Amino acid sequence: MGPVPLRSALRAGVVGGAILTYLSLVGLIERFADLNLVGEQVTLGRLFLVLPPFAVGYAVVRPRIVAGERRLASPRAGALAGALSGAVTMVVFDAVIALAEWVDVGRIRQVFVTATPGVIEFVTFERGLATGLGILIGLGLVSGAIGGLARTANRAVAAALSVGAVTVIVMGLLQRIVLIALVQLGIESDFLYSPITRSLTWGGSAGLFVLAGGANVLWHRSGPETRERFRGAMAEKSAARTGILLVVLALLVILPLLVGSVISQVLGSVMIFVLLGLGLNIVVGYAGLLDLGYVAFFAFGAYMTALLTGATLNTTTGSAAPAFSVDLNFYIAIWVVVLLAAGMGLLIGAPVLRLRGDYLAIVTLGLGEIVRVLAESRWLQPVVGGPQGMRGVTDAEIAGYSFRNPPQHFYYLALAFVLLALFVSWRLSASRVGRAWNAMREDEQVADAMGVSTTKYKLLAFAMGGAVGSLGGALFAVQIGSLTPASFQILVSITALAVVILGGLGSLPGVVAGALVLIGLPGLLREFEEFRLLIYGAALVAIMVLRPQGLLPNVRRMRELHDEEEAQDEWVKRFADEGAAVAAVPGNPPGVEYGDPK
Amino acid sequence: MGLRPTRSDEDGLGSRNVGTDQQARTVRLSRFERLPWRRIILVVLGASIVATVGIGAFRTLTLPEGQRYSASAWGDFIVLGIAQGSIYALIALGYTLVYGILRMINFAHGEVFMFGAFGSFFFANAYEESGFLERQPYVALAIILGVAIATSVVVAVLLERIAYRPLRGAPRLVPLITAIGASLFLQNTARGFFGSQTRGYAKPNFLEGRWELLGVAFPKIRVIVFIVAFVSVVLLTLFIARTTTGKSMRAVAEDSEIASLMGINVDRVIVLTFAIGGILAGIAAVLFAMTFEAVNFFMGFQPGIAAFTAAVLGGIGSIAGAALGGLMLGLLESLGPSLILTGYQVPSPFQLKPGFTFLVLVLVLVFRPGGILGTGEAEKV
Repeated sequence: MGPVPLRSALRAGVVGGAILTYLSLVGLIERFADLNLVGEQVTLGRLFLVLPPFAVGYAVVRPRIVAGERRLASPRAGALAGALSGAVTMVVFDAVIALAEWVDVGRIRQVFVTATPGVIEFVTFERGLATGLGILIGLGLVSGAIGGLARTANRAVAAALSVGAVTVIVMGLLQRIVLIALVQLGIESDFLYSPITRSLTWGGSAGLFVLAGGANVLWHRSGPETRERFRGAMAEKSAARTGILLVVLALLVILPLLVGSVISQVLGSVMIFVLLGLGLNIVVGYAGLLDLGYVAFFAFGAYMTALLTGATLNTTTGSAAPAFSVDLNFYIAIWVVVLLAAGMGLLIGAPVLRLRGDYLAIVTLGLGEIVRVLAESRWLQPVVGGPQGMRGVTDAEIAGYSFRNPPQHFYYLALAFVLLALFVSWRLSASRVGRAWNAMREDEQVADAMGVSTTKYKLLAFAMGGAVGSLGGALFAVQIGSLTPASFQILVSITALAVVILGGLGSLPGVVAGALVLIGLPGLLREFEEFRLLIYGAALVAIMVLRPQGLLPNVRRMRELHDEEEAQDEWVKRFADEGAAVAAVPGNPPGVEYGDPK
Repeated sequence: MGLRPTRSDEDGLGSRNVGTDQQARTVRLSRFERLPWRRIILVVLGASIVATVGIGAFRTLTLPEGQRYSASAWGDFIVLGIAQGSIYALIALGYTLVYGILRMINFAHGEVFMFGAFGSFFFANAYEESGFLERQPYVALAIILGVAIATSVVVAVLLERIAYRPLRGAPRLVPLITAIGASLFLQNTARGFFGSQTRGYAKPNFLEGRWELLGVAFPKIRVIVFIVAFVSVVLLTLFIARTTTGKSMRAVAEDSEIASLMGINVDRVIVLTFAIGGILAGIAAVLFAMTFEAVNFFMGFQPGIAAFTAAVLGGIGSIAGAALGGLMLGLLESLGPSLILTGYQVPSPFQLKPGFTFLVLVLVLVFRPGGILGTGEAEKV
């Protein structure tokens, strides 16, 4: 079987079977059993069934470094190995299903609440146990082989096919949004989305597949040149840059008009988390201080906005005036809030300055929890309303134009603040301050020795991050109009962290993309809501293990990484050419870079 | 440009060439002497905290007769605090052991504890339904404990294998973020597997009731919690101090590279450390579940954080420190809110208990980062 040993194929299969069993027990497969993607046949649940064998098929044929050379299996061997591990995956899963049937699902259900006869029926395709298990093994063989081929076959072909497949899946998932947008634009949509199953039609998905795959092929033909020309134009002509910026802005402005109020509501939430992400990015991404209590600023911003704009306390009998209250205009209040939050950043930052990274994280986590505990306590109930919270937060209206209803208006308000924060972050990263943060993050002692006042810049990072985070809180208060401590759980901190990390620490497009993926997708696909945190957790682990620089990494860091990798490759090649056996394989697997030495 | 740094250089990225560590220290020292703001702030902060606590405690103790806590109430607080603290100590040992060897905070350790509680829950429940729990309480308890330990060990070892091992040698924040992710993942896995409702945890009848001793009524379960925790800590200390395996653990904690040169299988030692942490978490899980008679998927968070605080309080990396820190934190949590806050007429002071834990953590790290039994190492914490 060439360079893929039988044993690793078997082992991959067993891991795949375990993953599949996990997916069924945690409830993912059954939850999405009826979410049609294409026609009625391809549902998300079924996709989850074939993904593990595909993934192990792909993983098992990974290139191996033998004597300093990367060796990739031939397509035939790859398909064979993939098919084998895919089949083993399904055999293991079959064994689990058979076992479950044998001991009686009802008894398993006492432990695993998701183990129902319905799940067994679904995974056996409602055809009875024997047939169902056979179908599963067949599917495992096929998807495992495809997985193996995806890595070993001709690169261009594999890329085109996978882009096509991913496009179809994504369009299937986004059925509601795209459908609404098409309807708003007055475009006939029945050819793409069936009105009965609400999913893509077979014809429509074939069209999408060909379109996306074809585009990929074209891009690879002429892509590099176009990209170069594009980059040249961007670098030379500022008019080109301004033009693109204007187009993006215009798109952002007309977006809510296209998508309707439900999606605008989601977009508003995305904007709030973009703000939180941008603020946290200053603290974590730029200055390298891991803050797990970021929710403190979010809560502070929200409650202060409420108090400064004359909101009232929720009580059992109605509403009451808080012990402390001012009635300012929102557009004045917000700057007061931001200033106070910056001050609070200094206050929180000062005692924890000397702490090393991981301790800092835990202490800030504690401070975040203290804020929530205080907001919930009866002690501060006369000020912030305790568990019942506050209501009647201003809707930031200007001359009768409310920014809360409809949600499209809120989107514009949030967009304005996001653009402001983006601009500030962007300018900061290139400034003297940004470079000082950079130096501090890379090596605090060296930075200190080079004359960077680490105390000052750490405090500055806390203050700036706090200010931006409180903006997010203020907008949140405007968006929902009433506050309860339940909105300020530690999960907000972790979500903001996940947003920053998914996109890539220190990367502004990354923050936007992270918020879109982590807040936007679950908001749009309500079915995912239940699994949101599970997916966040898995994503954090996966990103840290597989791609610590994030999905859209900071350009400079990526370039450093790239150069390093090329140098390594050359080094390996030279030794291979000279016939020297290179025993030592470079320590880090390619693609892994730890920019932060802390 | 002169030799002395200009004003703008000093606070910016200017090139002040300070070559050696010695010189750097002198520069820092002189600046420190010029403006000892940090020390001033710390002293003022410390004094005001001592004053707040002192006045609060005084006012609580001198409340008029009817409003004051009775002596037996204080006795109950102390017993509760010690029992709670023993559980914290057991979990804290898991943090401390892993930290001692890998220098990482295993944020997901609370979830290891939670899985132990859930694993044993199904057995405890089934035994209660079948009546086995009352017929053979000791056998049943042994099995329940064994299941909890096994579940926790499996989760802890899998965690190390899947999430932490690939990150060996990565910068510190990377494993920490991974651990946060793992914690979230495990929590929601339990939610998916076992459902989100809180479930009652059965305990045998002989653990109900109180023992009278010297005029104080000790709830039996609390006494047993303390004894079990105490025995576990003693056994662990003996294990680390006396056995060859314990010796290799100490060696790896000292310097893993040199240890591996001396023929110690570092990977094995690390797995073992996680497994021992799992064993202790499993024991703690059963004690915790039997004390509060409930399990849910979120139960690992608060004890996990509290136990971490306990480990830091005692001096992270030290076993005796974790045990001591656990007891102290337990006492602080049960006594603190009522002793200090009642004096200031704060309504329902116990609501602020979680905040109290964190406040203690922050203050320890600010004033004595090495912890009570800390080595006082020069390293900045």
